[in-house]
Amino acid sequence: MKISKTVSSLMFLPFLLFFILFWMIPFLYGLYVSFHSWTVSGGNGGFVGLDNYIRILSPGNMYHDSFMNALGNTLYFVVISLVPLVVFALLLALLIENIPGKLKVFFRTVFFISYAVSVTAVSAIFKWLFTGNGGYINNVLQGFGLDSIGWLNNQPYAWIAVLAATVWWTIGYNMILFVNALDEVDDSLYEAASLDGANAWQRFWNVTFPSIKGVFVFVTIITVIASFNLYGQTLLITEGGPARSTMSLTMIIQNTIFSQNNLGMGSAMAILMGIIMVFITLVQFLIGFRKDDNA
Amino acid sequence: MKKLLMGTLLSTAVLLAACGNGDADTTGDPEEVPEEAADATVIRFLNGFTGGDGAFMKEIVDNFNDSQEAYFVNEFQEPEHYTQFRTGDYELVVMHGVNLETYSADGLIQPIDGILEDVGMSMDDFHPAAEDLVGLEEGHYGIPLDIHPLTTFYNKNVTEEAPETYEDLVALSAELQAENENMYAMGIPDSGLIEFYTLTLAAQNNVDLLSEDGRYLDFAQEDLADALWILHNMIYEDNISPAGLGIDGEFHAFMQDTEGDSGGNQTAVALTGPWYYQAVSDAYGDDLGIASIPQLGDQVAVYGNSHVISLAASVEDETMLEGISAFMEFLYQPENLSNWAASGQAPLHTETMNYIEENVDEYPLPYQNQQMFDDYVAAPAVYQFGEQIRYMNETVIGRIVREENLTREELMEELENATGVAQEIADTAPDQ
Repeated sequence: MKISKTVSSLMFLPFLLFFILFWMIPFLYGLYVSFHSWTVSGGNGGFVGLDNYIRILSPGNMYHDSFMNALGNTLYFVVISLVPLVVFALLLALLIENIPGKLKVFFRTVFFISYAVSVTAVSAIFKWLFTGNGGYINNVLQGFGLDSIGWLNNQPYAWIAVLAATVWWTIGYNMILFVNALDEVDDSLYEAASLDGANAWQRFWNVTFPSIKGVFVFVTIITVIASFNLYGQTLLITEGGPARSTMSLTMIIQNTIFSQNNLGMGSAMAILMGIIMVFITLVQFLIGFRKDDNA
Repeated sequence: MKKLLMGTLLSTAVLLAACGNGDADTTGDPEEVPEEAADATVIRFLNGFTGGDGAFMKEIVDNFNDSQEAYFVNEFQEPEHYTQFRTGDYELVVMHGVNLETYSADGLIQPIDGILEDVGMSMDDFHPAAEDLVGLEEGHYGIPLDIHPLTTFYNKNVTEEAPETYEDLVALSAELQAENENMYAMGIPDSGLIEFYTLTLAAQNNVDLLSEDGRYLDFAQEDLADALWILHNMIYEDNISPAGLGIDGEFHAFMQDTEGDSGGNQTAVALTGPWYYQAVSDAYGDDLGIASIPQLGDQVAVYGNSHVISLAASVEDETMLEGISAFMEFLYQPENLSNWAASGQAPLHTETMNYIEENVDEYPLPYQNQQMFDDYVAAPAVYQFGEQIRYMNETVIGRIVREENLTREELMEELENATGVAQEIADTAPDQ
């Protein structure tokens, strides 16, 4: 069916419209606000140029300290969450791909269903599991004659609790993406590889991975972005503690805007966070394409 | 391309026109105002009572609405009600006492003395502790509703009497530990309600946290370090509390008592918020004891937060003010305000306090808590109190509670840091 340019343009219009209304305008408005002294209740207190950005990036004030602390925490979480959320998801998908049909559907559903649970419920469950005094995990440890661990008020245990909750909650989404990608791999390639005497690892490395590499890069990028937006788990499970060590960038931005009533500073923080995310995503893209060229 | 651009602009214009009808009415959902109140003056009353106490306030509001036709109080119970108040239009708002300085400085609330006068009330109608909560330089910025102080719950099965002193706690813990190494007198959390502990210890040790210029919280005081070190001693020296209880640990350790062989540390006493009353009452039943908090420092004193009813700065209309006065007159009748006490809150209104005293069996928790009003010490009135004390809550106290080997020098360094943050926050106050 041939669609005229007019019709195709009209079909594109709703997306463009909502993109402008709900992304472009808020983004530009946020950028504008970030150059002003702006409070939630009082509104615009005047143009301050780059002052907000300079304060965030200059040591010796609370905005710098809190932003850098949160940036460090967030990057740490991005790093520790990447392997479990991407590699484990891929392993799960491979496992599911290699089990019989009916079981495949069952396990695919089981692993994905946690993604439908709200962050509040997930956090409540994991907070109960990891509570130091009388929590389920510690009770199990004590059952084996081991000492209790202060999971939520000591590091690195607090990160382990947050990571466990995040992996349990979201790994199913990445897994589904990999399962779909694996379904698309041409079976004849596996047959050919087998005829050539390739073992399981060689089949994966030379057939499977190159075939799903695009999806792998995509999953890695969306996982980094999702981990960067860490908020609900640390807010509800650790409340940013112990000693602000799980305070994420989003938590600090939210606190700056609503608790400190400083929309200008919070917007500047959000813009900086966006710039950092774009930079990291760009690097990932470039690495992904470079590998493509080498392949 | 021109067509595309024109189409985009046209669609945007249509959508924007549809979104903005030119009338910024934020009365809330019109369906919430019943038909019979269509001609009434609607008073938008915002609060954060989204927990169990919300139903009790709603009952008072409903009773007022049923009692007359001229005014209709449209109540909004919102979890993020401070943000709602900053960005929306409301006439009345329930605030915490520690926030009055901030919201008055930001020009969001106005003195409410005119309303008090209209109703025929004055601050003499409240417990004297109320003056420190609502009295600012320019007047009274709220009508006192209640104080929710640090409260002692104890397990009568384990101890017949609530401990009254630090020595009592030491003795109780030793006695309990002799029988069961998992039993302690009480629990110290490392976050959560820790602000109540900090300010109570400061008050009990006669430490004034207000800086000399009255703008910020000055934590960098040796006397405060001494007072807070009591928490460290309670855990690592006198074995009153187990270590590592974490967020809301004082409550969870107390609740362990009723959960059988859970493997966790258990406490006989909890110094916690009165809002846990329903939970501990359900768990303990007749074995639950309620008492004033023990003296941990040099003198008897207690801190707690409070609720006050404030008037939005935007309210000028005479009819609206008359309606608010009518609602306040109704609310501050013992038979009505006792509904609020039924939620477990302790009103500051003296006539209602007398009513509670006459009906102790119905209001055991408010009665107990109003006994502590004479020893109540309010938080210093500073701009952005919650933000000024945040570093203490999130970092300093946690280190005292968690780190057995913390030194006094390290503590003083952290208190200096906390003061620095408080000063920076104070500097964000709008020019007066």
